[in-house]
Amino acid sequence: MSNLLNIAPASPDGRPGRRELIKAVAFAVVATGGLVEDVEAAQHVHAEAVSAQKATGIYTAKEMSAAEFKTLGKLAELIVPADDVSGSALDAGAPAFIDLLCSQNKQLATTYHGGLAWLDAEMNRKFSKSFVNATVEQQTAMLDLLVEADKSERARMDESAVVKKSDFRDFSDYTFKQPHPQAAGAKFFDWVRKMTVDAFYTSPIGIKDLGFMGNGAYSKYEVPKQSLDYAMKRSPFA
Amino acid sequence: MAQIPNSQEVYDVIVVGSGAGGGTATRVLTSKGMKVALLEAGPMLDPFKEFLEHKMPADYDHRGAEEGGASYFGKGKPFGFFSTTSGGWQLEGEPYTVGEGSKFEWFRSRIVGGRTNHYGRMSFRFSDFDFKPYTRDGLGFDWPISYEDISPYYDKAEEFIGVCGSIEGIRSAPDGKFHTPPPPKVHETLIKKSCDKLGIPCIPNRRAVITKSINGRAPCHYCGQCGRGCQTASAYSSSQVEIFPAMKTGLVKVFDNAMVREVLSNGNGKVNGVLYVDKRTREHRVIRGKAVILAASACESARILLNSKSKEFPNGLANGSGLVGRYLMDTVGFGLSGYVPALEGMPHYDTEGYGGAHLYMPWWDWEKHNKLDFPRGYHIEIGGGYGMPGVGSYHGAARTYGYGKDMKQNIRQRYGAAVGFSGRGEMIPNALSYTEIDPTVVDQWGIPVLKFHFKWSDHEWRQARHMERTFTQIIEGMGGKVLGLNNAQRESGGISVPGTIIHEVGTVKMGLNAKNSVLNGFTQAHEVKNLFVVDGGSFVSNPDKNPTLTINALSWRACDYLSEEMRKGNV
Ligand SMILES: Cc1cc2nc3c(=O)[nH]c(=O)nc-3n(C[C@H](O)[C@H](O)[C@H](O)COP(=O)(O)OP(=O)(O)OC[C@H]3O[C@@H](n4cnc5c(N)ncnc54)[C@H](O)[C@@H]3O)c2cc1C
Ligand code: SF4
Repeated sequence: MSNLLNIAPASPDGRPGRRELIKAVAFAVVATGGLVEDVEAAQHVHAEAVSAQKATGIYTAKEMSAAEFKTLGKLAELIVPADDVSGSALDAGAPAFIDLLCSQNKQLATTYHGGLAWLDAEMNRKFSKSFVNATVEQQTAMLDLLVEADKSERARMDESAVVKKSDFRDFSDYTFKQPHPQAAGAKFFDWVRKMTVDAFYTSPIGIKDLGFMGNGAYSKYEVPKQSLDYAMKRSPFA
Repeated sequence: MAQIPNSQEVYDVIVVGSGAGGGTATRVLTSKGMKVALLEAGPMLDPFKEFLEHKMPADYDHRGAEEGGASYFGKGKPFGFFSTTSGGWQLEGEPYTVGEGSKFEWFRSRIVGGRTNHYGRMSFRFSDFDFKPYTRDGLGFDWPISYEDISPYYDKAEEFIGVCGSIEGIRSAPDGKFHTPPPPKVHETLIKKSCDKLGIPCIPNRRAVITKSINGRAPCHYCGQCGRGCQTASAYSSSQVEIFPAMKTGLVKVFDNAMVREVLSNGNGKVNGVLYVDKRTREHRVIRGKAVILAASACESARILLNSKSKEFPNGLANGSGLVGRYLMDTVGFGLSGYVPALEGMPHYDTEGYGGAHLYMPWWDWEKHNKLDFPRGYHIEIGGGYGMPGVGSYHGAARTYGYGKDMKQNIRQRYGAAVGFSGRGEMIPNALSYTEIDPTVVDQWGIPVLKFHFKWSDHEWRQARHMERTFTQIIEGMGGKVLGLNNAQRESGGISVPGTIIHEVGTVKMGLNAKNSVLNGFTQAHEVKNLFVVDGGSFVSNPDKNPTLTINALSWRACDYLSEEMRKGNV
């Protein structure tokens, strides 16, 4: 009988290869009386499941205009830039991810259309240039402003939430903080930042950047001694 | 509406619900050669379609954010796109209501296997003293059974479903029949060292995962994705481990999409069938059986009983005591996370393991309650490691670090250096925590729905504060810094929102007599000899131990008893 414990490591790092995994799973399927009883069918299903990341062809924007799509690309390069470890969020397909979800969700699309238009208008007002045509210094100056706006808006919301929650009904001696001058762009920035970050870290590039090694298949689970030694040495238990 | 008899067939036993209780009942009864009709409100499960065990986020264009980015709007699947929840905190067309001043959230799954397809698999035996809490401290109620009664069934259940663990000799965590557990991860070794200093036992976890082959199931291959469902059935689920094999015997007929409305009584103190709504056609149908076992999950079984009104049972079936729906309990939850600099920059490795923490801390101070300001214990569950990046994983970090190379470097550096602690504590049953039928609302099948009432008492609040102090000590003891709540949304008040630990039990309590309880020690209704309830409904108390293993054991015991009584002609 074959089971996973008998799988010969098919790669130097001790992981069974895909073929072995498929074989083992197909065996288990038959043995456990799963609904897919046909080995061939099970192999097929599992082969699909463990399939390597699909080849990413050229993505054609469904929702954004060419200019909007380009701006999303520039934002992606600035939000998660390439460094000596890995590529950028543009390399990881952030604009395509955002465009696809916007094409399926009007509310989200509105946030992006409006936010991108606001961004260019603001860039023009400040630097007489659209976002993509501005210098890197101008672009980062705008993003710095948006980070600040986002933080200040968050603090303002928290404060008013506290006032709302309490039974404090007399607002006369309470002065609400003024909205940040870039408040209108802050929400959009938070959206584009969080979705860009998501697109990056869920991509094969981002997963490699962090060094996530799970979701594999092994016949035995081991904890490397060098990792344990490293942490112990740095801990109060050294 | 006309009620259509399904067929002339009279089954030996009708089982309602296919989760831990119903799956175990189905397998045990068919193994004895009995003919079973299994009714399940959800559809049939196909693990190879529904279990996304080996997928990565990038296998989907939406990366797990779901169509239109639903997860960004709080409308995604409750534990993320990849989880096999098949349900959630709300089910479309099947509402429940909550009484004024109460909070309660009810997690339901509608599929063959119920919540066991994706549950955490934490499998802890109750201790001897857990069955006699009233004798111990004068609070709550004693069970009509003792540890000796259930212990052989813990053995059977553990051996059959397969549980990893180690022999420790700790009274609050009785040992069982275990598979070899996987070794501790690095952060867990540090946690254990910190616990050693505090005198808190930190031992191999006990989870329903197998590390050697049993019953044709492959051993765990350490992908770490149990919450997505395990295609090789190396983690227990009632669907793959109990129901599919039972189906092969030819003795069980599974009626899926069958929403049971009422249990039917014959006018002579017995039940003889169930009335259900066929969800595909919305027709009412009847199935006949010699005995009925309810396993629709704790509150849902109470709902069926309360809705089964007849001349003979005007307050609902088997509810002469008026206790159906009473003494609803959840587990007390509180969690903190901490940042551990010792882990920063460590050579990475695969920390997924067998899909959950490899260590846990059973309750340690059971002899010192006279010195503590709360009466019952809790255990601690651990989180940490290099988790699979997903949608939402780094929103907080992005807000903290802004954007750019700095943010990227900070996320990289902090990855895997945080640990989390979740306290899971015993709640004492109280009169203000119960469920009842809401007379004003029906669901889309026309069935009156449940209304929940819930109150934590000072016992639970004080226990949660003790958790907070303990977790802080453990984190600081390993050179770490407290980061904040594990679950800011659901525990912001300093204690979990009732229901959200998903250990809701009670409402069809067992006891010694028909006055103080609904069921006897075999989970048989005092008033109706051929009616049993084998989910968490029968629980008299809710010890800190997660309930499912005890549900498995009690269900098995009930089925042994029922088949013996049927053989003797008593049922
Ligand atoms: C995310 C998560 C993690 C968990 N982790 C753990 C853990 O680590 N350890 C632990 O012990 N427990 C855990 N639990 C709890 C565990 O899932 C439950 O205790 C267990 O599944 C209860 O089994 P049951 O048979 O009573 O009900 P369920 O598993 O809920 O099954 C009930 C079934 O009955 C069906 N049903 C309901 N109403 C009707 C009706 N009217 N007619 C027909 N069918 C009906 C439902 O569709 C469902 O399939 C967890 C739960 C969740 C959601
Ligand atoms: S970690 Fe093991 S038990 Fe969990 S899903 Fe993977 S193979 Fe199954």
